[in-house]
Amino acid sequence: MLISLKNIFVNAGHVTLFTGRFFKEVLRPPFEIKEFLRQCYIIGYKSLPLVAITGFIMGLVLTLQSRPTLAEFGAESWLPGMVALSLIREIAPVITALICAGKIASGIGAELGSMKVTEQIDAMEVSAINPYKYLVVTRVLATTLMIPVLVVFADAIGIYGGYVGVNIHSDLNMFRYFQQVLDSLDFLDIIPATIKTFFFGFFIGLIGCYKGFTAANGTESVGKAANEAVVAASLTIFIIDMLAVQITDLFF
Amino acid sequence: MKKESGFTWKLGMFVIIGLILFIGTIYFVGKQKNLFGNTFHLKAQFKTVSGLKEGNHVRFSGINIGTVNGIELITDTSVLVDLIIKKNVQKFIKTDAVARIGYDGLMGDKVLTITPGTGNAKTVGDNALITSKSAVEMADIMNSLKTSVDNAGIITGQLAEVSFKINNGNGALSKLISDDGFSNSIKGTLINLQASTDQFAKFTTNLNNGALSSKLDSTMSNLQSGTKGLSDNMDAVKNSFLLRGYFKKQKKAEAKKKADLKKAADLKKRNTLKDRINLKTKDIPNHSNLNAKDSIKQ
Amino acid sequence: MINEATNIKEPIAVDTTVPVITIKGLYKSFGKDNAVLNGVDLTVRKGENLVVLGKSGSGKSILIKCLVGLVTADTGEIKVFGTDINTLDNNELNAIRVRIGFLFQNSALYDSMTVRENLAFPLKRHSKKLSAEEVEAAVIEALDNVGLPDAVDKMPAELSGGMRKRIGLARTLILKPEIILYDEPTTGLDTITSREISELILAIQKKNKTTSIIITHDMACAKLTGDRLVILKDGVIDAEGNYEALEKSDDEWVRSFFI
Ligand SMILES: Nc1ncnc2c1ncn2[C@@H]1O[C@H](COP(=O)(O)OP(=O)(O)OP(=O)(O)O)[C@@H](O)[C@H]1O
Ligand SMILES: [Mg+2]
Repeated sequence: MLISLKNIFVNAGHVTLFTGRFFKEVLRPPFEIKEFLRQCYIIGYKSLPLVAITGFIMGLVLTLQSRPTLAEFGAESWLPGMVALSLIREIAPVITALICAGKIASGIGAELGSMKVTEQIDAMEVSAINPYKYLVVTRVLATTLMIPVLVVFADAIGIYGGYVGVNIHSDLNMFRYFQQVLDSLDFLDIIPATIKTFFFGFFIGLIGCYKGFTAANGTESVGKAANEAVVAASLTIFIIDMLAVQITDLFF
Repeated sequence: MKKESGFTWKLGMFVIIGLILFIGTIYFVGKQKNLFGNTFHLKAQFKTVSGLKEGNHVRFSGINIGTVNGIELITDTSVLVDLIIKKNVQKFIKTDAVARIGYDGLMGDKVLTITPGTGNAKTVGDNALITSKSAVEMADIMNSLKTSVDNAGIITGQLAEVSFKINNGNGALSKLISDDGFSNSIKGTLINLQASTDQFAKFTTNLNNGALSSKLDSTMSNLQSGTKGLSDNMDAVKNSFLLRGYFKKQKKAEAKKKADLKKAADLKKRNTLKDRINLKTKDIPNHSNLNAKDSIKQ
Repeated sequence: MINEATNIKEPIAVDTTVPVITIKGLYKSFGKDNAVLNGVDLTVRKGENLVVLGKSGSGKSILIKCLVGLVTADTGEIKVFGTDINTLDNNELNAIRVRIGFLFQNSALYDSMTVRENLAFPLKRHSKKLSAEEVEAAVIEALDNVGLPDAVDKMPAELSGGMRKRIGLARTLILKPEIILYDEPTTGLDTITSREISELILAIQKKNKTTSIIITHDMACAKLTGDRLVILKDGVIDAEGNYEALEKSDDEWVRSFFI
């Protein structure tokens, strides 16, 4: 009991140090720009199809599911606005982040984990290349910047999915639909939701890297690192989301 | 090196499209906000604002002309409401215009309406205080409804008294009825009449002090709490984080809808309106039934 | 690669006066009851090839990892180029690490990079002045040294274990380090390639005056490359001497390595 409590503190300490190291190293040259761009490409561009498909389905399904309720109130004309708001404020950021936790955090966890196990990280270290800078900083930066972009795509494609959903039951032209969507939007819907996606991205990258970087020796710890990265990242996303909503609620 | 440029342009495209989408949205939303570019302030004082909130719309002759900017308690019985209103409607608002708080649609969101003053008064200035009429509260409506029901109770009581006297009293009418000089043929009719009067008396006594009247009364109060419940539900829905921002702007959508209705008088949309009315009449009794059951249990 | 194969190592002029690596009282244990190193004392002199023998799991790899700060020793003094590496901060340690080459037991090639990128990776970061052509030339030369010039565009996953080992060696040599730590350079290779690698190690020692520690189970390699041999047993240096001396040792256990 006491030992497990101590372990929790030890782990928390490790995570804090690991996070602190990121902020220390991110500003200090040399910068691994090429690797950063490569990671942006892998994390951002390569995740786009997945995010696009989920975004479209979310928008479509959300529209179809909300329509009966709104129709009961005779408020079908609120459908575009409601779908857009739900997507932008909550669903697109969280679903995209969860998908990326599954795809990216686990990918990073497994990649760094196997690099650790096969001594590739040690090899970098002995050749006097800072593996933290090359592997962690680039990836965390890339997720922090790419997840928000992916969320913007998910928003846009999700809203388009909503348009398709609306048009299954009624006939609304594209221009009117987007007009209604934009009408219902406010800065307060966009800005906090966007800010939180940066945090999602940061933690997806950080947790994936942490789990991979601190993997034990042995190949089975690679799978463990990937698995733990997904679980921890998903949980963190929900916690951040809750905090973000509370904070937004508090101030606005 | 070929491979590198291969991914660079894709990455660039990805980021640029993302940024364009984001900035475009921000731009359009910002443009929407700036429709109220030129504004002025008005103030109105109320005893109670009945749940009016910052951001609620201000209407003048049914047109949205601004929003509620701030609500401030100034004494324990009065609230000062600050309004932001489009500059270009200032010339239509006279110093004797009256501010009222009303309901905006079924959802129970509040709206502040300004009724135009008389044409010969002066135009309001910036930060002017306009007169206000206290808001019509749902509770007030229910109270007045209850008074009517009470009055009905009194009237039926008196009716019962009268009919009782007809039956058993010694007044002129009773004498006339019990006079032996009247023909027996009339008597038969009178017996029938008496039987029915008896029943009416029973009914009216019941109505007067019996279950029916109180039932009616409790139905009314249940109706009241039912409606309140509905409004509470709506408040809860409004406050839920997902839809909050959405409901804030529902009036905008509503205004648009009205415009639509006016423009396109097609059947489909009329049906929607009918649904809405049906819902209003359908939903409230449901609630009171539920509540009535509860009160019986108690 | 090497002109003349020799059976018995010719004595090389070793500057015995300058110790490059000094280890005193090195202790390292994992957990409470897994003491791996129990007070190792070892000196490696400039230009010398030291062969470390020992049973599997005796802590040979841990010993050389302590030397470059990959594993932190529990107690003990490790001096490399005259400075105690335990007292150094990260930058100073890195300055020393650039001068040390480390060949990992399992090659540790970067899986996500091609062979070319693997070799250029440390080179680009430490010799910034090099042009792209110079980097390319150095890569090709290093690959030529290990006899794999054709593998330059392959991914590590496409290589056999022996090829990976040789690429790993090329990556270690490309920075022309002053000290090279070889962890089992010939394990998993056929006898012919093993011999070529051993001769390469010898040639590098001659050419660059490098100081090396060679961990090996391959007695042919030990015989060919080693100026001096030590045997690690129970966490201490159990025996020390040149190949012929140890081969004729009184200790039967020591002799058993040479059968
Ligand atoms: N990270 C670690 N955690 C716990 N124990 C370890 C760790 N690394 C090594 N050991 C232990 O240290 C001992 C020595 O390991 P080392 O890798 O140095 O052996 P070795 O002499 O190189 O063997 P081989 O010839 O098979 O490579 C082993 O018993 C191993 O169990
Ligand atoms: Mg080993």
